[in-house]
Amino acid sequence: MIRVVSVCTSLLLVTTTVGVVAQGGQMTREEALAAVFPHAGIEAERVFLTEQQMVRIGELAAGDMESALVARYVATQGGRIVGRAYIDTHVVRTKRESLLISLEADGSVKRIDVTAFLEPTEYQAHERWLQQYDQQTLTDDLAVQRAIRPIAGATLTAGATNAAVRRVLAIDQVLALAEEKVGAVAR
Amino acid sequence: MTTKTHQDHTWWQMIPALALCALATSATAQTQIRDVTERTSVEAEADTAPAVCGAAETEQQPSDIEELQRRLDLLAAEVERLRSGEEVQPVSVDDARRLGLAPSAASTYGQARGVSIAGYGEMLFENYADENEGGAATGQTTKADFLRAIIYAGYRFNDKFLFNSEIEIEHADEIYVEFAYLDYQATDNIGVRGGMLLAPMGLVNEFHEPTVFLGAERPVTEQRIIPSTWRENGAGIYGAFDRVSFRAYVMNGFDGLEFSSKGVRGGRQKGNKAKATSMAFTGRVDVTPTPGVFVGASLYTGDSGQGQVMVDGAEYGVRTTIFDLHGAAQVRGLDVRGLFARAHLDDAAQLNQLLGKGVGERMQGAYIQVGYDLLSQTNSAGVALTPYVRYEQVDTQDRVPEGLSRSLSTDNTYLTAGIELKPISNIVVKVDHAWVSNDAETGVNQFNVSMGYAF
Repeated sequence: MIRVVSVCTSLLLVTTTVGVVAQGGQMTREEALAAVFPHAGIEAERVFLTEQQMVRIGELAAGDMESALVARYVATQGGRIVGRAYIDTHVVRTKRESLLISLEADGSVKRIDVTAFLEPTEYQAHERWLQQYDQQTLTDDLAVQRAIRPIAGATLTAGATNAAVRRVLAIDQVLALAEEKVGAVAR
Repeated sequence: MTTKTHQDHTWWQMIPALALCALATSATAQTQIRDVTERTSVEAEADTAPAVCGAAETEQQPSDIEELQRRLDLLAAEVERLRSGEEVQPVSVDDARRLGLAPSAASTYGQARGVSIAGYGEMLFENYADENEGGAATGQTTKADFLRAIIYAGYRFNDKFLFNSEIEIEHADEIYVEFAYLDYQATDNIGVRGGMLLAPMGLVNEFHEPTVFLGAERPVTEQRIIPSTWRENGAGIYGAFDRVSFRAYVMNGFDGLEFSSKGVRGGRQKGNKAKATSMAFTGRVDVTPTPGVFVGASLYTGDSGQGQVMVDGAEYGVRTTIFDLHGAAQVRGLDVRGLFARAHLDDAAQLNQLLGKGVGERMQGAYIQVGYDLLSQTNSAGVALTPYVRYEQVDTQDRVPEGLSRSLSTDNTYLTAGIELKPISNIVVKVDHAWVSNDAETGVNQFNVSMGYAF
């Protein structure tokens, strides 16, 4: 048993040392945006939704839209929009999580990055689980236990993430519609 | 990266102008603000701010409008950042000075930290058959038990260190600490953990909230062979690399003097002045080939003698080794789980000589369970209705030391069928019936209803 304890103590010391040397941190939204749209110019916007828009988003997302303030990033390359990204902040259990949900120009999910996770890290969704959302669009099938498989032991994270993705896809649709109407009025 | 407010939502651009109106015209202007605020952006997009506030006034103060717009934009950005919970830049010495604090005292301004509260609970109604399978009266009373009421409390000191705990009240009057540990997240992939830890064994022990497992009661294998909720004091490492996750701890061992013919469950020390003469290693590895599916193995090995098993002047360690193989798949409403666990005790003959309890030398159990959420492929708004069935065999005297005879009542087969309803993912009601049989014909069937919650 002394041998077992020695081996494990050594492992602890090595791990602690590695940790001190390699201080891995959570990806910031700026880092994530740079990784998702590497050669694009990115413009930050803050959109204030109207009540009607919030209701419509709630209907499309099949969930509540709690805030009218939306943080959006538009990526352009050569004068052409190549994608958009949204920050969605929500509560998982009692603490917040923020996701940067990046979309392709056609409105499908390009990638999801966790920019803040204040619950214990064991409840955080792993990158491979988040990759299930790649290329997903807002359909009825975009639900846990349908197109999205659950996370063992992190049910609330899975539910909160799925709700966030549906919300962002709905916001994107509603804003795209508003922009079309504005374009039509301008013409 | 550049920043701007959303140019296509020009009602937003009206706010500064309206604010100027408000300053100038008091009550009348306030009504205007409310009216405009209620308008849709599409309606507002057809208008312009000067039309509301007056072209002359707007032309007189264009720089004020731009400045107000800039300030509102900054405030919106600040609010959104604060809401996000993202790490902000560390407080500089100059900033700390502006806050009137030393840099360390001011560091709280630059950290996402704080208390986390969560919990779960379950109530179980058990109705036993009047007669066992051999026809003898059981005399067992129907029970309604508030099995567990739990509060999780955690505190994140910074992005590296956090504390997490589970305080449990069992049967409404027994208080336990189920876990309480400090985590050091060394890198994104590896962390160190110390305190009272859950043994990383099986499918249920670490994930034992009632909303997570099927069945009003936990599988018997994960009560007797893997004695959930199994927690001891220790330390170790945890982590994950791509598809592989692991945990490896050193903990105090069992107290072997509390083992019985029903398994190792009585040997748990639960962190209460635990005897630590005999330590143990425990760990697990899980592989997730695709989300929703994982397979893995767990191991526990260590002495349980705690320096107390003395027979004929010799001390016996009572090495206890438990391993399990497990797997689970949750795909499109289908939930399949299986587990095989085996425990082996050295020095079982000497232990029985001391205790006379018929402790098995080898114990094992296995189950397979299938459930299907009937509403999973419908737009049920999160409601889940899942019939399930579980087949299980458990033998706590699979092998006994020479000279000891096996009891026929320790080798049981359980067939459980039931249904669970989750009106929302945090609340569950389960109803099931378990048919229990063994060679001694002492199995007692039971009907269960449970209610659980987790938040």
